[in-house]
Amino acid sequence: MSALPRVARSPLDAVEFWNIILTTDDAATGLAPRDVVWTHRRTTLYRYRSSRRSHAVPLLLVFALINRPDIFDLRPGGSLVEYLLAEGFDVFLVDWGYPGEEDADMGLEEYVCDELDWAVRETLRASGAEELSLLGWCIGATLCAMYCGLERERQSAVRNIVLLTMPIDGRPSTYAKWVGGDDFDEERVARLWGALPGRAIDQANKMLKPMSNFFTTYRRLWDGVQQGTARREVYQPMAKWIADNPAFPGRAWAQWIRLMYKDGALPAGRVRLRGRRVDLGRIDQNLLVITAGADHIAPRNGTMPIFDLVSSEDVTHFDRPGGHIGLMAGSAARKGIWPDLATWLAERSDR
Amino acid sequence: MASGTKTDSDGAPDSPEDRLRALYEQGEAATADALEQLVARPSFGALLAHSAENVAALTRIGAEIADLVLRNLRVAGRADIIRLARELNRTEDKLERVLQEVELLRDELRDSSRRNAGRKRGEPAG
Repeated sequence: MSALPRVARSPLDAVEFWNIILTTDDAATGLAPRDVVWTHRRTTLYRYRSSRRSHAVPLLLVFALINRPDIFDLRPGGSLVEYLLAEGFDVFLVDWGYPGEEDADMGLEEYVCDELDWAVRETLRASGAEELSLLGWCIGATLCAMYCGLERERQSAVRNIVLLTMPIDGRPSTYAKWVGGDDFDEERVARLWGALPGRAIDQANKMLKPMSNFFTTYRRLWDGVQQGTARREVYQPMAKWIADNPAFPGRAWAQWIRLMYKDGALPAGRVRLRGRRVDLGRIDQNLLVITAGADHIAPRNGTMPIFDLVSSEDVTHFDRPGGHIGLMAGSAARKGIWPDLATWLAERSDR
Repeated sequence: MASGTKTDSDGAPDSPEDRLRALYEQGEAATADALEQLVARPSFGALLAHSAENVAALTRIGAEIADLVLRNLRVAGRADIIRLARELNRTEDKLERVLQEVELLRDELRDSSRRNAGRKRGEPAG
């Protein structure tokens, strides 16, 4: 379209642009039918309904403590959960909920030794299976790795572990330049806030790529509206998910900052949860690690040390182009990484 | 065609509008790079860290003043609700552990009943 008709159309385009922005919260996400299996405090374990379960080993999805696990089931046609159900998996999801100031005492030990351990227990009980697969994403992947790095209890029941864009050493990242110095007192910030507001964490994440996040996203949407290529049904669920930011319990946040960005304690084997040492060398499950080449939140080089630490004999690494979230939730994922993930799991999920 | 003139994939010369857009996108990409370098500087990190502490402290002071006002009005404030919620959390923790014990005992009872039944079936008649 040449310049003059485009200018003439711009009031209409502006109305459409603002309509997409202003109705983003109405976008439907997390639509796959599911049942509540178990709840404790803010945590809920869901099981997705399916009549096509064909694999013996159920799959438990674990997302980060920032943002919501709805990214696993973003929109019909763009849902990893929907895809896995169609591939015959029995899919469970642990949802950490929306912690408040009253949950400020929740530390990483509560998440790993209680909530995740109990979610594993309830998954096994509900499915009747003796083993399961764990799939963690971002901090969720680190929690899964920490869980399997504890000495054997229920960890024996984990047959396969999938770690998506997982940070284990954040010191090479830009975050470390912000919060890794001695002059940043994470304990004081956690004490003052109780629970770190999700909005503050979201703004910090966006500051990593300020131009892209605060401007280019909207400029591209505007271009799409002008050219008639804007896809509301794709833009809105993702924008809604990005803006949905639960608070991060203060104690867990301070522990995370310290071990990830200050002292690199996890790969060094110096993390202790309730007196139990987290040794990533104890991970001997079938292991799939997925890294994203353009991941600026959990850069690839912060994940790579895992390969020198684990004792698994069956180790697979998918290193794909894409960002921290786009890799698994972008429009190319359905034909790219999802089939590879499903094939890897299927080969290891039968009796 | 004069050397140095760009063409699109069909070989047609770029319109002024296309050239303007390409120039704009170059500028946007350069600004993005510059801003990413800026936020990766330690001084920016220090600024952000101190700002976060200041905002957290101001939020806490504001919340405490608001709670003080509410308390003097004999109305439950945020702090009171948080205290109650923490007590509920503790109760739920205890209930969860009791529930797990009950489920464990139930499983053990079921297993032992099965074993006893199997033993009885295996005993010789008479």
